[in-house]
Amino acid sequence: MMNKTSMIALVLLLISGVYPFFVDSAWLAIGTTFLVFSCVAFSQDIILGRAGVFHMGHAMFFGLGAYTTAIMNVQFGLPILASWAPAVLIPMFVAFVLAGPIIHLRGDYLLVATIGFNIIFIQVLENDVFGLTGGPNGIFGIDVVRLFGFEFASQTYMYYMAFILLGITLFIMRTLDRSKFGRAMFYINKDEIAAQSMGVSVRYYKLYAFIIGAGIAGAAGSMFSVQYSAVSPEAFDVTQSIMFFTIVLVGGSASLPGVLIGTFIMFVLPEVFREFETARYLVFGLAMILTMILRPRGIWPVRFGNIPNFLKKDVK
Amino acid sequence: MDIFIQQMVNGLTIGSLYALVALGYTMVYGVMRLINFAHGDLVAMSAFVGLTVYTQIFGENITSLVAVITVFVFTAAIVALVGVLLERLAYRPLRTAPRLSAVVSALGAGLVIQNSVMLIWGPNMKIFPSNIFPSTIWSFGGVVITFTQVMILGLSSILMVGLYFFINRTKIGTAIRAVAIDQDAAKLMGINVNRIIMIIFVIGSALGAVAGLFIGVYYRGVTFDMGWMYGLNAFVAAIMGGIGNIPGAMLGGLMLGLFNAMITGYISSQWAETFTFVLLIVILVFRPTGILGEKVAEKV
Amino acid sequence: MSEYILEIKNVTKMFHGLVAINDLSMKVKKGQIYGIIGPNGAGKTTLFNCITGIYTPEMGQILWKGKEIKGTTPYKIAELGILRTFQTIRLFAEMSVAENIMSGRHIKSKQKWYNGVIPTPAYFKDEKEQWMKVGELMEFFNLSQYATTPAGDLSYGVQRRIEMARALAAEPELLILDEPAAGLNEHETQELTDTIRKIQAMGVTIMMIEHDMEMVMSLSEYITVINFGAKISEGLPSFVQDDPVVVEAYIGSDEEDEHE
Ligand SMILES: Nc1ncnc2c1ncn2[C@@H]1O[C@H](COP(=O)(O)OP(=O)(O)O)[C@@H](O)[C@H]1O
Ligand SMILES: [Mg+2]
Repeated sequence: MMNKTSMIALVLLLISGVYPFFVDSAWLAIGTTFLVFSCVAFSQDIILGRAGVFHMGHAMFFGLGAYTTAIMNVQFGLPILASWAPAVLIPMFVAFVLAGPIIHLRGDYLLVATIGFNIIFIQVLENDVFGLTGGPNGIFGIDVVRLFGFEFASQTYMYYMAFILLGITLFIMRTLDRSKFGRAMFYINKDEIAAQSMGVSVRYYKLYAFIIGAGIAGAAGSMFSVQYSAVSPEAFDVTQSIMFFTIVLVGGSASLPGVLIGTFIMFVLPEVFREFETARYLVFGLAMILTMILRPRGIWPVRFGNIPNFLKKDVK
Repeated sequence: MDIFIQQMVNGLTIGSLYALVALGYTMVYGVMRLINFAHGDLVAMSAFVGLTVYTQIFGENITSLVAVITVFVFTAAIVALVGVLLERLAYRPLRTAPRLSAVVSALGAGLVIQNSVMLIWGPNMKIFPSNIFPSTIWSFGGVVITFTQVMILGLSSILMVGLYFFINRTKIGTAIRAVAIDQDAAKLMGINVNRIIMIIFVIGSALGAVAGLFIGVYYRGVTFDMGWMYGLNAFVAAIMGGIGNIPGAMLGGLMLGLFNAMITGYISSQWAETFTFVLLIVILVFRPTGILGEKVAEKV
Repeated sequence: MSEYILEIKNVTKMFHGLVAINDLSMKVKKGQIYGIIGPNGAGKTTLFNCITGIYTPEMGQILWKGKEIKGTTPYKIAELGILRTFQTIRLFAEMSVAENIMSGRHIKSKQKWYNGVIPTPAYFKDEKEQWMKVGELMEFFNLSQYATTPAGDLSYGVQRRIEMARALAAEPELLILDEPAAGLNEHETQELTDTIRKIQAMGVTIMMIEHDMEMVMSLSEYITVINFGAKISEGLPSFVQDDPVVVEAYIGSDEEDEHE
């Protein structure tokens, strides 16, 4: 027994599983980055699509993860593996500290505050605070993952590592959606007052969303820094945050297929049309407007009603 | 002390420009609850339109009051038209859609405008002629004030005071305020909401056009992507003042201009944006809806 | 502790200098159905908003089992066992009926903080338990056939039932109903009356604002009448019904817009 969606999912899984064997190195790198960006987009979706927080500074958490790995590896000579946990935990901690004081702000006020955090983050990187971040040029020469004397150096390894990370992210998304936590986020998103009246602490679950989202973005950032063996500020600036924000809304908030589609459209398609350098973003902007007009809830909107089967017996 | 006063003059000048742009954000937000992310790019576009109007009609070297006024009026009219089109094409179809859909549409519209400017005028910096305004300067002790600064301060004050009276003392202004408070009720009272929104876009875009021209005249170098920076600062100013609130946008703009000038003058321009956003966040922590923004309790 | 589960003492609530509730007091006994009536704009909903923490009154006390709860945030009020419905229905419109009711199970769920990311056996057990409870409530309120339907797509009467199911899912001690019969037809009102009796039989205390006089008079054990934010009468339904002050208040107000 399989419905259409799971069929599509299976086919996609197979295609993405064998993808590295059929493409050249440039497209392999695009594939890897697509997987990494999908993780970031999902983590943005936890905050934006689920908890409904207008967060437009997500590239900062992505960058924090990337820079944690880069700094630990290049400046302190630690192995990449040792940086994995900090690359997740530091963004989570920063999310907790920064989001705490602003989490009560209304939609648009919070939006500009999160843009602000992202901009401050970039200035910290560019001004090379403590001589650790490498200033505007960033940090080069990041190592590859090594385990038991084996090095996972080829781009194919990078791809499969990103593949696994996306798998873990999807698992988390699914768990979240089927837990008290994910539901609480939706209740807050749909009606804050009703949610509170049912005993949901708005502050707790918004912060929860921020912290989990930051952790996943951090992990993706670590992967990203290893893939390119370098990090620099512009990969994590507000423009990138706007891209993740847009991915979620164009694809479909809180919809797993939607976010994947969004990432594909916003990141892979521009790569395909790279040769039309100049007109590309003009068309892109038009496409964003048109998509929203034609599909205001995104290309593949979320569908609620994911409840256990035993509750569906009377449904006609 | 001289530095302080000098920075104050400079700060108020740039602050007036922020305020003019911030008014565009705040007025649109007031009636549509939409952050018009394309507004900054509209401002940038104005500088290019103005430059073209100037060189096409008057050539490089003619400066006269008539020329200047023509350029301002012409540019404001063209940009206002683009603003109205923007609303028609990108925002009106989304008025009943989820709020964030319109935000994405605005981001898309910003890309469209910015890249159109790049395709039309090219990716390189364009330079405004230096003789649009006389190069007269006045100095008081160590403090220097240029003719351009006086023009900027003067004209933006006139526009802001004018807008204030327009909103508070005229029939259309009253209608605008009514639509801002409750669109449905306004509609029932016979107010043509679409027309009001159009007027908002005309005024907001025209003020943005004036700011864009002044940016060209004052800084002289203009780039197709400069809208982001000015737009963001102005938007921050609108938020500081309390978005949706017209005096708030004016206050926020002037305050941010002054603050920026002081930071650049006394501390360092390297950290200017950081200071801006720290100030913003501190303001919001203590006043979650900005300095003059009203706290609207939801009626249950 | 007194025999009263909820005591409202001299509560005053103002909006921008306008008095919405004026020095209001009332006492609700455990297990009672307590009716609140009064013309539109009298301040009834505002009173409920004060009890549930949505507004904080400027003056007075609100005692829950003898303890002051004035100013407590709404989600903590819910955790205390005070749950409500809204006059202007506030469901999670895009979400299914089952998911809406599940929100009532939020405070009863024992999932740990890490269960949002990592499932554990205890989590699966808890999740199952909560959904079973949702199933029971859907049956009680005759909603099972709509389990997967978005709540916003259903009729007014059904939506009112979902709101009650959602509040009841949290196993409240005090259930606060704001005009539960508004917009219902006669048949639905009759069903609602029966349902409210059944809920009372479960041991739940009920406070209810209602304009349907027949219903409120038959259900309530005690009634307070509010006009212009102040109490104008209180007592048994039979007394209140004939109290000239009450009759006066109702004639003075516009009966027409009472069912909006
Ligand atoms: N959030 C609010 N802000 C301002 N005034 C309010 C608010 N909530 C209620 N009011 C006012 O308080 C009065 C009482 O309203 P309400 O409690 O809803 O009356 P009722 O439920 O008895 O019909 C009304 O005049 C109403 O306009
Ligand atoms: Mg009411």
